[in-house]
Amino acid sequence: MSTPRFTTSSPSATQAVGRSLAPLLAADDLVLLAGDLGAGKTALVKGVAEGLGVAEPVTSPTFNILLVHHGRLDLYHVDLYRLEDSSQLEDIDYFETIEAGGVTLVEWGDRFPEAAVGDHVKLRITITGDESREFSIAGVGDRGMQLAASWADACVGLPGVVFL
Amino acid sequence: MRVRLRPLRPEDLRSVLAIEEASFPRPWSEGMFAAELGLPDRMWFVAERDGEVVGYAGAMMQLGEAHVMNLAVAAGARRQGVATVLLSGLIDALRDRGAHGVTLEVRENNDAAISLYESAGMHAVGERPGYYVETGESAVVMWSDDLDSPGMNARLDILRARARRYSYASDDDGHPYVLGIETSCDETAAAVVGAHNEVIANVVATQVDFHARFGGVVPEIASRKHTEAIVAVVSEALTQAAGTLGRPFGFDDVDAIAVTRGPGLVGALVVGLAYAKGLSLATGIPLIGINHLEAHIFAALLEDPNLAPPLIALVVSGGHTSLVYVPEWGEYRVLGETLDDAAGEAFDKVAKALGLGYPGGPIISRLAEQGDPAAIEFPRAMLHSGDYSFSLSGLKTAVINHVSHEREAGRELHLPDLAASFQAAVIDVQVAKAVRAAEEYRVSSFVIAGGVAANTALRQGLTDAMRSRGIEVAVPALHMCTDNAAMVATAGLFRYARGERMSRADDAAPGLRLDSA
Repeated sequence: MSTPRFTTSSPSATQAVGRSLAPLLAADDLVLLAGDLGAGKTALVKGVAEGLGVAEPVTSPTFNILLVHHGRLDLYHVDLYRLEDSSQLEDIDYFETIEAGGVTLVEWGDRFPEAAVGDHVKLRITITGDESREFSIAGVGDRGMQLAASWADACVGLPGVVFL
Repeated sequence: MRVRLRPLRPEDLRSVLAIEEASFPRPWSEGMFAAELGLPDRMWFVAERDGEVVGYAGAMMQLGEAHVMNLAVAAGARRQGVATVLLSGLIDALRDRGAHGVTLEVRENNDAAISLYESAGMHAVGERPGYYVETGESAVVMWSDDLDSPGMNARLDILRARARRYSYASDDDGHPYVLGIETSCDETAAAVVGAHNEVIANVVATQVDFHARFGGVVPEIASRKHTEAIVAVVSEALTQAAGTLGRPFGFDDVDAIAVTRGPGLVGALVVGLAYAKGLSLATGIPLIGINHLEAHIFAALLEDPNLAPPLIALVVSGGHTSLVYVPEWGEYRVLGETLDDAAGEAFDKVAKALGLGYPGGPIISRLAEQGDPAAIEFPRAMLHSGDYSFSLSGLKTAVINHVSHEREAGRELHLPDLAASFQAAVIDVQVAKAVRAAEEYRVSSFVIAGGVAANTALRQGLTDAMRSRGIEVAVPALHMCTDNAAMVATAGLFRYARGERMSRADDAAPGLRLDSA
């Protein structure tokens, strides 16, 4: 199965991609986000939070490592940016968090292979221009593949989104 | 911040001499001061702040009359009541030694000194023309009335009351003493403050060296290092307190333990909390949980004891960018926060993108000093949004885009211009929103708090903008802007006085908000 790839033309389009994921999410879903500084990982999570009905602003979790938001489902917003090695996943309760009944979105989720546990979705955002970003969505495991495919479908036709 | 009055000791001579030489055209020599120490009819005091001598005064007793020979205050400590403390303490001590009157000479053009002496009940009785040969100025000779007269008693009572605002007496028992403990992020810190917010111990074991290699705060390291350091840091704080007070000081002397509950890294917070709870359980000392952001705002009170709400505070740090209205101490209305990255985080991430190291704030602000803030036009996000929210993520992206454009074009990056332009974009928005908040809420005081308040350009920008509108600005001393436990203890003192206590069952609150403080 090929990996769906598409581009967005603005941060608001990136946020819309996040918003389109929200209705598809179920308890204990895990999404790992990869992409350089400024790629739009936090912007995407803002969209997911909005779609889940989270009321408060979603800010970068870099300082706190884990921020919890309450919406239709609990949203665990994790940031592995400052972790030194995979043994620290234990220290931040990563493995308990992803099975705690909410949905977990992990910024810098490609930092440690150990963070990719069970079925999950891998989203990579690549900076292709000042405003434009390229997305690739891949699923791992049955639930991961199903979620990746339905998310890509949900992005079809969004303003500012062009499939490759 | 208050001073402590104590007798002059031989080890103070170096500091005293430095102040003397900076204050007078014909300073006393070290030998002259040293000789004074050995004479029986002399009385010398120093005013000490945070372990540093900031002023001194000395007098000679002759036949029941006291002659004040010298009084000077360090340039950085003037207009903060230090001379009042010295004069009041000196006159009281002279009276205790049997002086009936006090006299002195003062330079005719030294209006500040003359009005201070007049407030102590002294008046001009004569003049010594050309007494100060280096300037040709005359000396005004001043005398007090009889120190036991009702008029002088009333004057000295007022002087003493004023001095108490700026000092604490070493014979005063100083209670309540609050032990502050802070482990919310990088720093393992402990401090002791006394009843009037005077800092009698302040210890910070910085972990920043450990983190520098990793480009940020690493939680596991933070947690482990806090655990390793906490016992030694608290014990050092007690030792320091004993040194400041000149008497033994232990847990028996502590009336309350104030500990940071949040916000912060959960693994780091729990170390300070666990220690504080254990100490409270073992000793019975009451426990007070403190919001880290509230503590940052209270740090301004250590700098300016007269600071009073209503005020607006801008709390800027690695994890926070919040504009807060404080109608009274202990009440907070968050007017706006960052919608994405905190100011300190933006500095760190931009520094990282430029390959400059950690922490990013000091590195970028140093570079910016040599750069042109108008060289590159970066976006001022939310400048005209009409609310008090901040957004720094777009600016971060703009810097990254600029870097990749320059690289593609094969041009060398001009790091000072880049740093200065980025910093200016951050500061412009902060200043504009802060000014608008101060005007909307009609406050006359403004506080800059948090680690990013150490940024000189931000302090300067805010101070200029506020002062030109008649708004007083309080900025904690640099070492009180970054995380420390003195600010936690000061917030603790306030909550202790209100009878607030934390249950030992209360947990760390990594996402604690200021409006729920």
